[in-house]
Amino acid sequence: MAKKDQIAQRLEQLLPQDAICRDENYRAGVILAARLTADKLRAALQACEEAGFFLECITGLDFTDAMELVYHLNCYEPGSRIALRLFCQPGDTPPSIGDIFPAALWHEREVHDFFGIQFKDNPDLRALLLPDDADYHPHLKTFGKTHAYLKWEDVYGKIK
Amino acid sequence: MAKLNDEAVSERLYSLNLGPQHPSTHGVLRVLLKLDGEYIVEADPIIGYGHRGHEKMAESRTYEQFMPNSSRIDYLSGLIYNHGYTLAVEKLAGIEVPERAKYIRVICAELNRISSHLLWFGTYVMDLGGFTPFLYAFDDREMILDILDRVTGSRLTYSYCRFGGVNRDIDAEFVSMTRAFVKRLRSRWSDYHNLVTKNVIFINRTRNVGVIKPELARLFGVTGPNLRGSGIGFDMRKIEPYEVYDRFQFDIPTGNNGDALDRYNVRLEEMEQSCRIIEQALDQLPDGLYRNEHVPFKVKPPKGEVYFSFESARGLTAYYLVSDGSSTPYRLHVRVPSFGNLQVLTDVLTGTMVADAISILGSIDIVVPEVDR
Amino acid sequence: MAPERVEPVIKFALLDEILNLARANSLWPMTFGLACCAIEMMAAGASRFDLDRFGAGVFRPSPRQSDLMIVAGTISKKMAPIIQTLWDQMPNPKWCIAMGNCAISGGPFEVEGQYAIVPGAHLIVPVDIYVPGCPPRPEGLIQGILALEDKITGGEKKNYLRRFRRAGGKS
Repeated sequence: MAKKDQIAQRLEQLLPQDAICRDENYRAGVILAARLTADKLRAALQACEEAGFFLECITGLDFTDAMELVYHLNCYEPGSRIALRLFCQPGDTPPSIGDIFPAALWHEREVHDFFGIQFKDNPDLRALLLPDDADYHPHLKTFGKTHAYLKWEDVYGKIK
Repeated sequence: MAKLNDEAVSERLYSLNLGPQHPSTHGVLRVLLKLDGEYIVEADPIIGYGHRGHEKMAESRTYEQFMPNSSRIDYLSGLIYNHGYTLAVEKLAGIEVPERAKYIRVICAELNRISSHLLWFGTYVMDLGGFTPFLYAFDDREMILDILDRVTGSRLTYSYCRFGGVNRDIDAEFVSMTRAFVKRLRSRWSDYHNLVTKNVIFINRTRNVGVIKPELARLFGVTGPNLRGSGIGFDMRKIEPYEVYDRFQFDIPTGNNGDALDRYNVRLEEMEQSCRIIEQALDQLPDGLYRNEHVPFKVKPPKGEVYFSFESARGLTAYYLVSDGSSTPYRLHVRVPSFGNLQVLTDVLTGTMVADAISILGSIDIVVPEVDR
Repeated sequence: MAPERVEPVIKFALLDEILNLARANSLWPMTFGLACCAIEMMAAGASRFDLDRFGAGVFRPSPRQSDLMIVAGTISKKMAPIIQTLWDQMPNPKWCIAMGNCAISGGPFEVEGQYAIVPGAHLIVPVDIYVPGCPPRPEGLIQGILALEDKITGGEKKNYLRRFRRAGGKS
């Protein structure tokens, strides 16, 4: 069975029914996007690691009503990229996945640098790209000059 | 390998700073090493000395205004990054590209890939102590820069691609210069192999040095020639062909052991495969428009996101673009291959000697402003 | 009160001229490539645009052995104290060339809301010559080095080891 179907099965077992959205047309560059909650994050990523995926990147997004973390994972077969999305509020501490994917250690440090999101159990959250004494989080929309600061629905619409 | 005495180990560890100003011209990388004699116990890369705020800049510029930035993220494969950015926006906005423009972009991207690998070749052997191949490589590279300079106007940081095509058409002189260049480069392989590949000192400094096992590469997100040197043939041009890459025949070279010598061989072979792609593209080059005339002056992609990945000279690169329907991106995140490639060194450098560390650092082929964005 | 220049008691004008001639024609740059301009600096030292013919091709990695710092690339705020340290480590007489738009004034990265860079090398070290371009062609860097040589010797006519006229050069 292709890896993307394998992981789709595992995620369907793990998450509620309407949390997964599959897109065969690969319009946004992903075959499936799944909405997670913080308690399911580690289990979902553990499933990805066992299925042979690698972590491409962790991106932070800032909206007026929430912040979002997007985990993109891919495997070595064509057309298999998946996106796992997690909402978090300012002050939340999502669990770190540094022991499942060591690549996440630096990605989480970068997200912490730029957005101020603290990751629980990350052994080392020093500044990665900013100077050591920086006390600002540049990618927040309230910092510096930015063009738009919108709600999540204004950008994505009602569906995930 | 050193056997550490368990008692009083921390008193015998010596902290050494490698960088941020050091002769290997990779940029401003600093690696904090903890040494036990000549062996590295812990390696901690400290980055951020080249951070310029590209992603924040993207949030206050229009899509067209970000084009020069895309070239400066990784200046050695500037045209490939330009190309990828243009493809990402075209995918999101649904812009059509004429056939001739696609072929032109692919030819220029492959020329850029060869020039990046040539520069890596020259600087890597210079790091190991040999100065002559640097001059040979730069001589060949100047020929590529002449070709690209004629058509794009710039030698290093290009802004050649536009949404819907390219800025200027290529002429017959470009085609003949490129064919002459491919012929000349092929005649140089014997020089390079005689100078470097068969050199005993080079082989001793790169064989079994810096072995990256495939499992380790997967956990750290290593891509590009580093991953292919470890045996996994993962190249976005073959796995998810974009533009017209599916019309060409070319191979993906892989190595067996994952050591520095394998990575070197993979890159040299990739240059030859790029030559093959260029030749086939020149043969198939159609006539027609070089730019889509009906693209609006200020591109406004619809609301939504796109994650577009392509293969740069260093590995899998991706633009993650979130658009709110206006002419400015809401969020632009660049996934750079050197991020994972550098992070794997925290694992690979432990237990090696300092001299081997320089060889490993060079063989990974990182560009630090790309890591820092 | 302005500090007084310490003048040597006995002046040898001819010796000064000879020393300046020697310093100008054997500048030893320090490899200080920060970003994209570093590649053009390397190309200027390579075989086509040879810097060795001007005596300036010996790139020293250590600041203590060099007398010219070519700041090539964008200076980020994290890097600025290090540039200061390196400049202080260089022995006198020393000169500085700011190569590229980023080192002159922040270049393409100097935008409203920029938080990460220092807009110009002149804010950190005293710059002698500015070489504009993004990145400047290696010929541009060579023109900058020749202009610095003229500055050291006090004019093109006094640079007896030079056998050509520099375009745009003043005597």
